[in-house]
Amino acid sequence: MIQMFSVSKTYPSQITAISDLTLEVPAGEFIFIAGPSGSGKSSLLRILFGAEKPSSGEVIVNGIRLTHPSFKKVYQLRRTMGIISPDFKLLRDRNVRENIAFALEVTGHPPKEIREKVSETLRQIGLQEREKDSILSLSAGEQQRVAIARALVKGSSLILADEPTGILDDEMTGKVMEIFSERHQKGATIVFATQDANLIQRHPHRAIPLMAGKRGDGESSEEVISEE
Amino acid sequence: MISFLGYVMRRALRNMKGNLFPNLTTIAVIGISLLIFLSFSLIAFNLTSLLKIWEEKFEVIAYLKRGTSLNEVEGLLKQVRQLDGVETVNYISPFDAMAFMESRLGRQKNLLEGIQPAILPSSIEIRLKKDYWGETKIDEVVAHLKRVSQIEEIQYGQEWIETFSVLVHLVRLTQWILGGLLLAAIIFIVSNTLQLTISSRREEIEAMQMVGANPAFIQVPFYIEGLIQGLLGAGMAMGLLFLLYKVVLITITPLMKGWMAGLPILFLPWETIAWMLSGGMVLGLFGSFVASMRFLRYGR
Repeated sequence: MIQMFSVSKTYPSQITAISDLTLEVPAGEFIFIAGPSGSGKSSLLRILFGAEKPSSGEVIVNGIRLTHPSFKKVYQLRRTMGIISPDFKLLRDRNVRENIAFALEVTGHPPKEIREKVSETLRQIGLQEREKDSILSLSAGEQQRVAIARALVKGSSLILADEPTGILDDEMTGKVMEIFSERHQKGATIVFATQDANLIQRHPHRAIPLMAGKRGDGESSEEVISEE
Repeated sequence: MISFLGYVMRRALRNMKGNLFPNLTTIAVIGISLLIFLSFSLIAFNLTSLLKIWEEKFEVIAYLKRGTSLNEVEGLLKQVRQLDGVETVNYISPFDAMAFMESRLGRQKNLLEGIQPAILPSSIEIRLKKDYWGETKIDEVVAHLKRVSQIEEIQYGQEWIETFSVLVHLVRLTQWILGGLLLAAIIFIVSNTLQLTISSRREEIEAMQMVGANPAFIQVPFYIEGLIQGLLGAGMAMGLLFLLYKVVLITITPLMKGWMAGLPILFLPWETIAWMLSGGMVLGLFGSFVASMRFLRYGR
């Protein structure tokens, strides 16, 4: 599902976000990318959904070689995955339902299917009562749930989640983790970036510790996060 | 396909409504830039038409010596008709010349009172074949005429036509140099206005890119916006030019009308208007394309 070989990413400001990282995530795995802020988690995810080009190395996602010189169709790659960004990227002039439906509209799903899938996802994420509310009237936690719902509604086989529970309370974090676990049990591959050591402890999945863009192999995720 | 077109049209119009002031400014700047270009086009078009009319009216006038008898005139006409390059030859008697002058003076013909037609010279008007309108060929014909003993003076406006032709070329050259500069300016302006629109809709664009929207789905509304800006700008320029044209027609003095000898001042033909409107659209489209290349690309 995901293969990264010796990947490095250095920004024009000479800051190295990822350094010589090799990683393989087989289809159907739930994996945590653990590390404090600035460890390169977001850069790693951005490389995986084609928002950043690695400076060197090879990246293959869903069978698409992202580092191939002829690879241009980022949008096709993104259609195969659900992405949760820490800044949500929601549409402020649309309501909750419209924001979630948007992911299906732009990929040309029929209206009936959109209605059904959005209603189901709203129910899962516990926002069915607020479907007509404007995004601006939601709390940050609720906005994050809308962003999660938008990533899940497509039923993608790969979900890239960057701090999806970062601002949720414990109860809602638990609910969201249940939804992710449910998707994982149905066969989805989940890459979950977090700096929450407790969350990793509570969920027995493989965790890759990241430290200044390098794999902190030999150290536990908890150690890496607490070293901040 | 229809729903896609409906969507992109709605979004383009919503973008324009949401950024009304920058859009109106762009349309106005495109309009003014094209108006400058079109004004030169109109001047060049009229000068060219004038040149064509003059060229078609081009003739050599040979004034005859006083005392040339009608018999001699008849022989002379026969002789001139046989010259290479001559198409038609007309004899203008002093009475014809007086009648012509009276017709040109109109209500002021009383100025000619007391003047006898006999003081006017008789002349022959020689119209040359089209192939003979070049300077060298005219000189050949004139050289022949100069050898005719009954001819006193020869007048022809070739030199003047050639100077006028240079003027037409200069106007055309200015039009295209100016056009090139204005073209670059229009593309720059449209692309910058659309940059503003794109910035104000960045969130929406990023959200679309996040869920994998087809680039066409994101870009086409901006192309349509550029297209509409170009079309409205060109339409405005055309409207203003037509107003200016009408004002010139109203304010033109009778003296100038007389000088122009009834030659009409024309507006641009329909084909040119259609070309200009399409050109405005293409310019707007190109400006939006430049903006989208710079600001609407997926990350990386």
